[in-house]
Amino acid sequence: MDRLNTIQKTVVAIILATMAIVVIVPILFFLNVAFSSDVEMSKFPKSIIPSFTLTVKVVPADNGEYEIFYDNGEGYRSILTTKNPIKLENHFRRQYNVSVPGEKLLRDFSQTRINGPMEFKYQKDILYNFKQFFAIVNNALPALKNSIIVSLYTIMISLTIGSLAGYAMARYKFKFKETINVSMLIVRMFPTVGISIPMAILLIKFGLFDTMLGLALLYSVPNIALTAWITSSIFVGINPELEEASMVFGANRFQTFMHITLPLALPALAASSMYAFLTAWNDTISALILTNENQTLALVVYKAIGTTSSGIQYAAAGSVVLIIPALVFTFIIRKYVNQMWGGVEL
Amino acid sequence: MSYLVLKDLEKRYTKNGPLIVNKMNLSIEKGEFIVFLGPSGCGKTTIIRMICGLEEVSGGDILIDGESVLSKKPKDREVSMIFQSYAIWPHMTAFDNIAYPLKLRRVPKHEIKKKVMTAAETADIVSLLDRYPAQMSGGQRQRVAVARAIVVKPKIFLMDEPLSNLDAKLRVSMRTELKNIHIKENSTSIFVTHDQAEAMSLADRIVVINKGMIEQIGTSMEVYHDSATKFVASFIGTPPTNFFKVKIEEIDRELYATSKSFKYKVQSELKKALTPYINKNVDMGIRPEFIDVSAEGNKPSEYLCDTTINFVEPQGTHSILIANIGENETKIMTTKYMDIKPKTKVPLYVREGKAMFFDEETTRRIK
Repeated sequence: MDRLNTIQKTVVAIILATMAIVVIVPILFFLNVAFSSDVEMSKFPKSIIPSFTLTVKVVPADNGEYEIFYDNGEGYRSILTTKNPIKLENHFRRQYNVSVPGEKLLRDFSQTRINGPMEFKYQKDILYNFKQFFAIVNNALPALKNSIIVSLYTIMISLTIGSLAGYAMARYKFKFKETINVSMLIVRMFPTVGISIPMAILLIKFGLFDTMLGLALLYSVPNIALTAWITSSIFVGINPELEEASMVFGANRFQTFMHITLPLALPALAASSMYAFLTAWNDTISALILTNENQTLALVVYKAIGTTSSGIQYAAAGSVVLIIPALVFTFIIRKYVNQMWGGVEL
Repeated sequence: MSYLVLKDLEKRYTKNGPLIVNKMNLSIEKGEFIVFLGPSGCGKTTIIRMICGLEEVSGGDILIDGESVLSKKPKDREVSMIFQSYAIWPHMTAFDNIAYPLKLRRVPKHEIKKKVMTAAETADIVSLLDRYPAQMSGGQRQRVAVARAIVVKPKIFLMDEPLSNLDAKLRVSMRTELKNIHIKENSTSIFVTHDQAEAMSLADRIVVINKGMIEQIGTSMEVYHDSATKFVASFIGTPPTNFFKVKIEEIDRELYATSKSFKYKVQSELKKALTPYINKNVDMGIRPEFIDVSAEGNKPSEYLCDTTINFVEPQGTHSILIANIGENETKIMTTKYMDIKPKTKVPLYVREGKAMFFDEETTRRIK
């Protein structure tokens, strides 16, 4: 291959950097939001990295009260004047994400009686937004469980049916094979929302409406086709002699499939399961139509963003909760996707 | 009773389609090394795939040890096979590859280990047992396939062009080894190849197959020196037999094979067989090494014609001379006149009794 000259390299670097920025900046921003306190949300300019500590200036006032000043980027402003420990504690928690008992705050502030105005530094409760998210959205935990269940169902259904279909496509000749291949892709062309409404009617009839199995069935529709296509391309690449050898040496068809074919097709299965997982994990619209009580996490987060005007940071925290399992799953699967048995041709 | 019997064996891939294997009859004795030899697409691989059960049989029967195996699944036929691509499983180590057939047979663990070691010793791969196929060379993978095939102590040992993926040098040493293992294991082997040198060096008996039919069954010497059909004569031998279209004529009570460019006196022992062919066309075949380029040591009656040498291909131990006889390009192998120059005019003599004649229609040898 030709080596790139300096200009080409620069252009490539600029293009790649632009793409990276376009992808990374929103993620960074919303990560930042997820860890920001209420006052930090209205701070301008907003810092790139959320702070882990809080600094307030406290000035002693009359009647044993303390006046608290906070720097929102345009200099210190007076925020609150009080001597009520409960009010103080609540204020610190809600506005600054700092969980310190009110009595301790008052004790700290009492030093200002002797020393005059002082600055105080407190550790922020990093997970406060997350706790708040699960507290505000009361069905978040069951929704997380639902999301995991529906993803597992989707993976199981689409991998079982899809890989068998892929195997048939790769190994057997039958009438209308090409037609079936193409029509499987046509299924993918329908937006899932489009089939959601008729599916809702069907699922109600089957008694599967508002169940995770019903939802998984809908998600599996496009994924079975995708799995069949991905796996069939791998099955085609597996030399049939490997399977025949297994049968000559004492295995039946099922043993051959389990011991020889499936392990060799593992990268394809891993890739397919990733697609299936992501479809089920990220969908909101079909879940909106097909569920009632048993919502999925993506739907809950979507609703949280859509319904809260203040406290957007809690919804962002919810989104992080939504992202983490997807990331973990993708990283685990990645190992298998890359695995090609030492680069040997199958 | 023979060990393996093929009885009127037939194969077609589609109903009413062409016969890939056509009414094949063959019996093989225990301990024999049989080679199926034929050009690609002649059906030889299909036959062994039918023997091991990977291919359905369209007609006829296969008997192993006196028992029909048609209703048996491949795993119950007690045969093992070495595939052209070796077919060792890339996600298992050499040890696991060899042990897999034993595991399926529920052999106890300590015994598996013992048996795998013995097979590995026979195939000389003890040091490779914990490697994956990707970390092995072609020859080493081949040995793993051999070890896997012998570990189950099969009734019949099938080999489907096992050497064709190896380089030329390795192929020669590996074939000696395969023969060695065959003798050591006292197994009954069927070896499929399109390489006649491989076939001749390995076989107790060669089965020459063409278009799904057996052309000849015989030892290496028989198929070479006593070819039964025109196909066998042309397929076996490098360079192949030279063929001429000739007409049998009777002149003065002697038979002559005549063509536009020569008139050759037929050896007396073929006189009777060729009599029905008087004034008919037959194919005459002469192996390249039986043509001489000088009168020295030859009787005048063996004279064929005069010709000019076109090219010389020196091979070290011998030279191949290429000349035209009439329209036919003829190859001549000589060990005496290796430094002959192109464009030399030479007389050609056919060594006594070495001309073969074949019926034009049946292609069978006339003798």
